Amino acid sequence: MGGGDAHPLSQNTGREPAWSIEKKMSLKSERRGIHVDQSELLCKKGCGYYGNPAWQGFCSKCWREEYHKARQRQIQEDWELAERLQREEEEAFASSQSSQGAQSLTFSKFEEKKTNEKTRKVTTVKKFFSASSRAGSKKEIQEAKAPSPSINRQTSIETDRVTKEFIDFLKTFHKTGQEVYKQTKMFLEAMPYKRDLSIEEQSECTQDFYQNVAERLQTRGKVPPEKVEKMMDQIEKHIMTRLYKFVFCPETTDDEKKDLAIQKRIRALHWVTPQMLCVPVNEEIPEVSDMVVKAITDIIEMDSKRVPRDKLACITRCSKHIFNAIKITKNEPASADDFLPTLIYIVLKGNPPRLQSNIQYITRFCNPSRLMTGEDGYYFTNLCCAVAFIEKLDAQSLNLSQEDFDRYMSGQTSPRKQESESWSPEACLGVKQMYKNLDLLSQLNERQERIMTEAKKLEKDLIDWTDGIAKEVQDIVEKYPLEIKPPNQPLAAIDSENVENDKLPPPLQPQVYAG
Amino acid sequence: MAAAGGGAAAAAGRAYSFKVVLLGEGCVGKTSLVLRYCENKFNDKHITTLQASFLTKKLNIGGKRVNLAIWDTAGQERFHALGPIYYRDSNGAILVYDVTDEDSFQKVKNWVKELRKMLGNEICLCIVGNKIDLEKERHVSIQEAESYAESVGAKHYHTSAKQNKGIEELFLDLCKRMIETAQVDERAKGNGSSQAGAARRGVQIIDDEPQAQSGSGGCCSSG
Repeated sequence: MGGGDAHPLSQNTGREPAWSIEKKMSLKSERRGIHVDQSELLCKKGCGYYGNPAWQGFCSKCWREEYHKARQRQIQEDWELAERLQREEEEAFASSQSSQGAQSLTFSKFEEKKTNEKTRKVTTVKKFFSASSRAGSKKEIQEAKAPSPSINRQTSIETDRVTKEFIDFLKTFHKTGQEVYKQTKMFLEAMPYKRDLSIEEQSECTQDFYQNVAERLQTRGKVPPEKVEKMMDQIEKHIMTRLYKFVFCPETTDDEKKDLAIQKRIRALHWVTPQMLCVPVNEEIPEVSDMVVKAITDIIEMDSKRVPRDKLACITRCSKHIFNAIKITKNEPASADDFLPTLIYIVLKGNPPRLQSNIQYITRFCNPSRLMTGEDGYYFTNLCCAVAFIEKLDAQSLNLSQEDFDRYMSGQTSPRKQESESWSPEACLGVKQMYKNLDLLSQLNERQERIMTEAKKLEKDLIDWTDGIAKEVQDIVEKYPLEIKPPNQPLAAIDSENVENDKLPPPLQPQVYAG
Repeated sequence: MAAAGGGAAAAAGRAYSFKVVLLGEGCVGKTSLVLRYCENKFNDKHITTLQASFLTKKLNIGGKRVNLAIWDTAGQERFHALGPIYYRDSNGAILVYDVTDEDSFQKVKNWVKELRKMLGNEICLCIVGNKIDLEKERHVSIQEAESYAESVGAKHYHTSAKQNKGIEELFLDLCKRMIETAQVDERAKGNGSSQAGAARRGVQIIDDEPQAQSGSGGCCSSG
């Protein structure tokens, strides 16, 4: 990286060294990218739960363990900053009261101060960095802390951006905008104290807040309904960007467990075909398969958004792509009878990350008016239905026999194999070859199993045989027991002959007689 | 929050927002019915709408503005158990059957039972016999259907999406009834603030409860 002179990029741009451009590019793609790779989604610690890029790839639990302290400090800092801002704003408000009609000026002033604060904050973060890097002896501590401020900085950049947009938006409402800002700030300040409450209670607080603000806008601010809706969207965006990391998939709930359960379930159902679900979409048409891919991308992208409304927008986009796919296939507007099965198919195919957490988060923290009557709400309800269907799916719901269902679930056979002849005669050669190979493999498997059983039988035969022989021998031994009898008479006679040898006269020796 | 929880709109100048679910077996003509109502088209090759599963219509009834959101539901038997997720918080339900199909009328009866169990009397029910242009092949007697509707506190209508008969009346009538229900509600609960609080919560996934209930209704698809 360091060889800036030799690098062509550095020559082209002249001033900037190559590595900085590369770094920027990688940062950009990192932020924009949709994380689809499973391994990237899992917690870095390998605990099996999902990780989150916002948590440096850890799951909520591991993240909390690792960076609890650093975060506490950050919260403290934020808190102090908020207090300071509050004081400044009040001062500004007081001065604007004295000189009426200078409200927009107040805002810009306030903004100026805010940017000052921001730069101050960044410098302290830098200081923090350099200080820790100098302390060479505390290497471990540095490693544990270093990623935390960088993340905080990244998220704070985003929240700052959102805050700026929010303020810009509120400016157009003059005095009402200011009041809304105050209410929002009060709410955000109160929320950290409610972190010990259950997530349902926190959700309740948020919903109450939405309702109060909307009512005030309508009755006191006399804001027309369309504008109230816009305002509510902005408020939701502002507060949920800040609250996201505390209330998305909190560890006090079993959201994470449910995420894993549905993920496993969808994996186990990989064999479900569009035909089983009666999906009215023909993926052989290139445009249709294009739409299907887009729909899957959208539903996966949902997880990367922080604001409930943005998540809903992903679901809506996904649904629109599904409708397009149906329209191209059937050439008529899609009804719910067409839509739901297709959505189920898309969810099964996409296996969107942290599905349950996302659904819970939207249910708890989305502005309710959007969720209950609007178009987004309809698609969201359908997604809930799809998830419920997948959870409860059984043989009957796919028009399969229980035996087939069990066999597919256990992975013994795949329905695709049987269908390869009937469904896709013009499937590409590779797929055909694959099915052929699969057939061969299953045949091989059968033969191997046969061999195994034969071998087992042989083994058993051998054992039986040796056992049989042993038993026979045993029988014979029992039948003809080995008795040590006293020496036999005739034998003894022979022996005694020898015993009494010495008593005998010496054998005749041939003697030579002369004569 | 233009109108929290549908019925709780009311006060001066604000519009009512109603959610109406459309229930009925496949092939009874649910889609044709709404497309006829919202687009005034039937089996038209030139229908430009992308989908007919979520449609809206703005009405003005006696000076009262009404935003109608019509939610189509999947009618296949396999999705029957998902019903409660769909019709939560709805103000009205249109239950469609095919006058030539006795089975589809039986399905309507199942839904009525479920709806009454889950939502009580808050919901306005409409039972609709569609396809009266096929009068000759009628298999569901008018008397039976109408007396059944009366017995469950629902209104009965006869429609033909093909000939555009009875559809306008159906929706207009339903809207009037929903406005009445909403007004009664508001009066009963005073300013509608407490009511809004109760009806405020959004769609939630209910795990076991509705499943068990629909099971006891004797019409559950899960074996």
